[in-house]
Amino acid sequence: MIIFKNVTKTYSNNVTVAKDLNLHIKPKEFVSIVGQSGTGKTTIAKLIYAEERPSKGQIIVGGWDITDIKPKEIPVLRRQIGVVFQDFKLLEKKTVYENVTFALEVCGAKQKHIKKVVPQILKLVGLEKKGERFPDQLSGGEQQRVAIARSLVHMPKIIVADEPTGNLDSINTQEIIDLLLKINNFGTTVVLVTHNRDVVNSLRKRVISIQDGVIISDQKDGKYIL
Amino acid sequence: MMVWLYRTSKLAIQNFWRNLWLSVITLFILILTLFSISMIASLNLAAGQAIQAVKDKVDVDIFFNPQIAESEILRAQVFLEDLPQVKEVTYISQDMALENFKVEHENDVTIQESLTNLSENPLPASLVIRANNLEDYEAILTQFENSEFNKYVQDKNYSNHKLIIDKLSLITKRIYNVGIIVSLIFIFFSIVMVYNTIRVTIYSHREELNIMRLVGATNWFIRAPFLLEGVLYALIASITAMLLIYPIVLLASPYINNLFAGYNFDMLYYFYQYIWQIFTLQLLLSLLLSSGSSMVAIGRYLKS
Repeated sequence: MIIFKNVTKTYSNNVTVAKDLNLHIKPKEFVSIVGQSGTGKTTIAKLIYAEERPSKGQIIVGGWDITDIKPKEIPVLRRQIGVVFQDFKLLEKKTVYENVTFALEVCGAKQKHIKKVVPQILKLVGLEKKGERFPDQLSGGEQQRVAIARSLVHMPKIIVADEPTGNLDSINTQEIIDLLLKINNFGTTVVLVTHNRDVVNSLRKRVISIQDGVIISDQKDGKYIL
Repeated sequence: MMVWLYRTSKLAIQNFWRNLWLSVITLFILILTLFSISMIASLNLAAGQAIQAVKDKVDVDIFFNPQIAESEILRAQVFLEDLPQVKEVTYISQDMALENFKVEHENDVTIQESLTNLSENPLPASLVIRANNLEDYEAILTQFENSEFNKYVQDKNYSNHKLIIDKLSLITKRIYNVGIIVSLIFIFFSIVMVYNTIRVTIYSHREELNIMRLVGATNWFIRAPFLLEGVLYALIASITAMLLIYPIVLLASPYINNLFAGYNFDMLYYFYQYIWQIFTLQLLLSLLLSSGSSMVAIGRYLKS
């Protein structure tokens, strides 16, 4: 599903944040990418959804070589990858329903399709009764569930969650992890970028550990080792 | 396509309203630009028409001795018509000259009475010469004076309109040059203002735009609301500029027409005649300015 071949990412100020990365994430896998802050975890996530381009190497997502992806092809890729962030990135002036709808509207989905899909997704994330609320009327965990709902509306094959529990307390964190596991059980590949030791250890899923931009371990039933 | 247009238009109108003051200032500058350019264009058009009206008035009348036979005058007409600089030569016989004189002074009782008392027609026959160009008259007259027909001439009437035309051209040219500079300044400010407004709009919507990019909106969907916002500016500005220009033309028209009294020139008539062309040009110019600036601003954002 996701293949990195000798991927290196160096920024224009000569700072290398990913060095000669090789990894292969299979379809339907749940993979945690762990490491301390500033080790290059987020860069890996950005490389997957083409927010960043590799300086060297090759990246293949869903059989598509996106190493030199053209700008006009990026929207097509993004509709196949759901992205979730630590800061939720919700529109404060839009309701829960509108935030989720927005993702479909800007991609040209028909109104009929939107009306059918959005309530189903909201039900999946447990927010079917809070569709009319605004983000500031929700808890952190609920806001993150809205963000996950938004990332799911395109029925993506991959979800990239970049520190999705970073702003949440332990109860909300568990709720979000449970939701990601549920989505994974439906067959969606989940890439979880985190530095939360407890979360990673409780998952008992594949763990890729990064240190200074280098993969230092890749365990099938892994633990947080750093 | 309709869904796409509806959604992007909705976003464009939202952008416009949410930055209302900035939008109003941008519109103000754009309207000033259109207004100044329209004024310059109108002045140019009016001056062109006025100069043409003066030029149309220029001709040379050659009056012949009453003893000269009509056949000789007609030969002189052929001679003149053969000159390359001559546009047309009209023969006015003695009878026609008298008729014209009567018509011109039909309200003057004294003249009408004295005409009836005359035993013979005192008015000479004449040839009215129109040249292709104003500068040709002197050459035509020189050639005529060197011809055999010069000896038949009683008098020549060459009113030198060239001086008026030269003066008019000079004044127009000066106003035009100043107008061009003023218009260029306004064009520059318009571009900067629209560009800046769109940049501010982009900045205040950066979260929304980031999310759009993240969820897979195409670049054209992201661009379209800003482009349409530019179109909205252009439409409002060109309509407002026309609404401002119309009463000014209406008020100024009698004064300007007075300046050209006796000439075939009516400012209001020209305004009505060219009203759609003026509006279309204003619309095209404002579209170019506002949508062009919008495209550059959003293009820079999308590249970043």
